[in-house]
Amino acid sequence: MRILDTLKLEGKVIIVTGAGRGLGRAMALALADAGADIVAAARTQAQIDETATLVYEQGRRCHAIATDVTSSASVNAMVETVIREFGRIDVLVNNAGGASSGWQKPVEAITDEQWRGGMDLNINSAFYCCRAVIPHMLSQGGGKIINVTSGVGVRPMKYNYMYATAKAGMINFTRALAFNYADRNIQANLILPGIFPHEDPAMMQFWQGGKYIPVGRVGKDEELGPACVFLASEASNYMNGEMIALEGGGLAGGEVPTGFAPIFPLQGADR
Amino acid sequence: MSSNAFALGGKSALVVGANNVVGCAVATALAEAGADVVVATSTPSAQEEAAVQLCISQVHALGRKGFAHTLDATNEREVGELVQRTVAELGRLDILVNAQDRAFAKPTAETTLHEWRRVLDVNLTIPYLTCRAAAGAMQAQGAGRIINIVSLLGERGMANGAAYCAAQGGVLNLTRAVALEWARSGITVNAIGAGWTEGMGFMANEALQQQLLRYIPSRRLAQPEDIAATAVYLASDMTGFVTGQVIWVDGGMRTRL
Repeated sequence: MRILDTLKLEGKVIIVTGAGRGLGRAMALALADAGADIVAAARTQAQIDETATLVYEQGRRCHAIATDVTSSASVNAMVETVIREFGRIDVLVNNAGGASSGWQKPVEAITDEQWRGGMDLNINSAFYCCRAVIPHMLSQGGGKIINVTSGVGVRPMKYNYMYATAKAGMINFTRALAFNYADRNIQANLILPGIFPHEDPAMMQFWQGGKYIPVGRVGKDEELGPACVFLASEASNYMNGEMIALEGGGLAGGEVPTGFAPIFPLQGADR
Repeated sequence: MSSNAFALGGKSALVVGANNVVGCAVATALAEAGADVVVATSTPSAQEEAAVQLCISQVHALGRKGFAHTLDATNEREVGELVQRTVAELGRLDILVNAQDRAFAKPTAETTLHEWRRVLDVNLTIPYLTCRAAAGAMQAQGAGRIINIVSLLGERGMANGAAYCAAQGGVLNLTRAVALEWARSGITVNAIGAGWTEGMGFMANEALQQQLLRYIPSRRLAQPEDIAATAVYLASDMTGFVTGQVIWVDGGMRTRL
């Protein structure tokens, strides 16, 4: 059973940003289930407290630290707290992000604030977290960074400029980290989640249950966790700068072969 | 997700090309995770036959069922018989791994048409035949996992590597195409992009190995177990939403080439 043992995470301390809901919570719970202690970092204390309760129910420790990942001071304070409480950081999951800033707009209608706000949340946040965590990983002799990108980071989507730019940036940031720290035993890899509506009925309806996705369905939260566990574990030690895409086959052939994705309506312009 | 989410108990796997170190490591890892495993040669040589016999003894030592099978996997009829025998003896076929690998390097102008065809036959036609034969059994079950192991040269060129690069690139796009074709049958088809792996093909060249080590960001060659661990993840029930993908396991090599 040696191979299955390498997929266990007992004794590891893992920071998950954006762990208060959705994908972040799903990954935090899967990592805890594999044996890790979790630091749930996100802006809304009530949500990460709820994640912490769920982690405790799995018999693992979880520290819910309210963090504004768009502020490097807030990120630095969070990382200092983790080191004080747990003494180490084995894995960092940069999951915090969001597409809403400036979307559904043509490029000429996007304001400076929308663009910068989106970059702060989606890519600067990952930089701040890596900058704060990597020195601890280096002094421990290694670590793993898991960055969350998006299908939009590979194939742009209509009127979604900021997110497409930031998530593509995340991919090459990850590759740069991998290249620079590989010889010091830090692995940086990506998870690309496709459509995961988290059982939200409005999202399910918008995405039409995933009928245009080659596999004919949307993603389930419980499928994301194992990818994160694999990348956090020793089983993926030779994977570096690479990606696991969970998206039902769309990227293999474009979205066209099995139907058309719905297109978001454009706001604030007449075309 | 349960703690043994990646366990493969009750599943039956077929590894073609289990004569090489990567194929045998994959077969062993699948058995460690609980699967019964059939190990097959890619071509019917005495050397390959001895290697798969050794590999099946490791599978049996782990307490798993399975058999070693010698065949010419470029032959359509023999591949069909292998899949039939697998289903007959193990009851089902859940996982197919294509691990065959024929290294070949020669200036293109000096490569004969016979050599070109042989490289494409072993590296590209075998996965076509085995995918096709296995998908029939998997479609009847409503689920399956196909994993094709490819080289970094599937996505990058190499001087004097035209035939090998063309074949490996072909396997990548075969993977994407059949992934889409079988997406609604519960069959996922993915590739593992293997970095330079100790004991494989070109790595027999000591000078090349030393040269490569300077370029691989991780400063080590892949071990067969690195590839095998990824195969276990892809073979598990947890990857139904991952299809048509290549997971590169290359020590960061692709970040710089």
